[in-house]
Amino acid sequence: MRTGGGNTPELARDGRRQMGPEEIARKAAAIRRHVIRMIAPRGQGYVAQGLGAADLFAALYFGELTLEPSDPAWPGRDRFYLSTAHNSAVFHATLAERGLIPLSALDDYCHDGSTLEINVSERLGPAVEATLGSLGQGPSVAVGAALAARRRGDGYRCYVMLGDGEMQEGQVWEAAMAAASFKLDNLCVVIDMNWMQVEGHTDAVHAMAPVADKWRAFGWAAEEVDGHDIAGILAALDRARATKGRPSVIIAETLVGKGAPSLEGIRSHNMRLPPDVAAKALAELEGV
Amino acid sequence: MTVDLAVTDFTAAPAATQGALPRPYGEALVELARQRPEVVCIGADLSGATETDLFRDTLPDRFVNIGIAEANMVGAAAGMARAGDMPFIHSFSVFVTRRCYDQIAMQVAYPRTNVKIVGFLPGLTTLLGVTHQAIDDVALMRALPNMTIIEPGDPGQIRDAVREAAAIRGPVYLRMRRPEAWETAGTAGPADLSGGSPHLLRDGDEGAILAAGLIVPVALQAADALAARGRRVAVANVHRLKPLDTGFVADLARRCGSVVTAENHSVIGGLGSAVAEALMESGVHAGFARVGLQDCFAQGGSTPYLFKTYGLSVEGILAALEKADARRDG
Repeated sequence: MRTGGGNTPELARDGRRQMGPEEIARKAAAIRRHVIRMIAPRGQGYVAQGLGAADLFAALYFGELTLEPSDPAWPGRDRFYLSTAHNSAVFHATLAERGLIPLSALDDYCHDGSTLEINVSERLGPAVEATLGSLGQGPSVAVGAALAARRRGDGYRCYVMLGDGEMQEGQVWEAAMAAASFKLDNLCVVIDMNWMQVEGHTDAVHAMAPVADKWRAFGWAAEEVDGHDIAGILAALDRARATKGRPSVIIAETLVGKGAPSLEGIRSHNMRLPPDVAAKALAELEGV
Repeated sequence: MTVDLAVTDFTAAPAATQGALPRPYGEALVELARQRPEVVCIGADLSGATETDLFRDTLPDRFVNIGIAEANMVGAAAGMARAGDMPFIHSFSVFVTRRCYDQIAMQVAYPRTNVKIVGFLPGLTTLLGVTHQAIDDVALMRALPNMTIIEPGDPGQIRDAVREAAAIRGPVYLRMRRPEAWETAGTAGPADLSGGSPHLLRDGDEGAILAAGLIVPVALQAADALAARGRRVAVANVHRLKPLDTGFVADLARRCGSVVTAENHSVIGGLGSAVAEALMESGVHAGFARVGLQDCFAQGGSTPYLFKTYGLSVEGILAALEKADARRDG
């Protein structure tokens, strides 16, 4: 069953503007509730970055990506690469809300034997374009897909969700240099700029700024957006789509724990979620 | 008259630059690509040394120079393979295996993407020294699930090695070497590598030498020297290093009693290890010794000098066979 709205298969496939920003925000709230419910039974997990990135995932999957929920392997689909593959609760929840996997599958998240692994694996099926999560590899795979699409005359676009800490991996810049050199305007990287990595604030590990200037220096069209302003994210994605002759990067500033005030701003890569904390967060998210 | 001083393949022996260098791999890849439109060729700034200048000039739309960035090359190749391409990626063996190992594991081996990894300068076949000597590439690729490893033994086997790689749907590591102009087909046995079983080049039941790649002709010389002394020793070219035909190895060992492996590689993790594993798990108790780099790095130098220094020689193989004889039960 399609969750993307629209009456014809063509409309259902085209993720663009099937929903307005308000409706997408409601999807993001639903995704956030899934994140808490999925992680609560384990008592610990990727909570902070999941809540923080929910608006980005909702904007991409309900406002941008062309997909066919009844056939996740449909060749014309846009390619989405989750380079931060540990951010699995929000990703699986988004796939379920979009109709690419059953909602009931979320109950199996991280269970032994489940295809919903804590680090997203293509065992899940074609909705996972590549098994990433060994950080730094997503942009490279997307460069190859974008090159192949152009050579073959395929119209799909390639999107990468990249972590801010992940930019410390040298391979990211190998791919950045190649993508600009090859003028891959069918490639768009979205950076989840949550200022968090395993050991805390990114600036405590490496000085990341100026991020946009780094990408511009590599030849990319770069812009910074508020990662919780759905309309702003969609507008940036529109501009990326309209950019010709070079790849685009959208640097989206996000707040870890966003949506559940009791968790906002707690920088914990893998966060404890005891039952009382989960219940409070869920109550906060129910109010949206 | 002006002399062209530019050298496209800086790995070639200086004398060879006097004439056109043979490009058997480059020709085989172009031939394959003409038959298979999904074949694409990716290089990392070494088109001359990997013979892919021919592909670049013949099928430019299907050629990508990804730059000196092997990790990115592997990821990009995986992205292309998932779009339906059959990418052949190229660099020196050491860079296209060790430098991008995690990328190969996660983007090629685990998902079984149809990527063919082609490495040149295997083992001690380069003047460029320790940085460029691939002494553990077979060990690394052998440890990866889903990986097939093919190593041709002479120029005549290169075309079939490419065809075999294409016929396998999934990851393949081609351990390739640019032959010198004087090298000829047939010195390492038949050109047909189909099926993957080792070629028995000399039969005998008084010892066996299992060899791979450039050292196969050396193994044959060692067997000839032994034959002259009246000892009939079998020689096999193990051109398919993974999966290894363990039945072939066990049968030969059972028949011959003493087994020597010879490889242009460390004795750890490559052919020697693979044969040892096969023998133990087959329950064959043979005398056994390995020729190859004995758990050490090598110095820079010419291939003949290095082969002699590190025992990848007729003398080294004969000495190893003596050790194997001494280690036989009873």
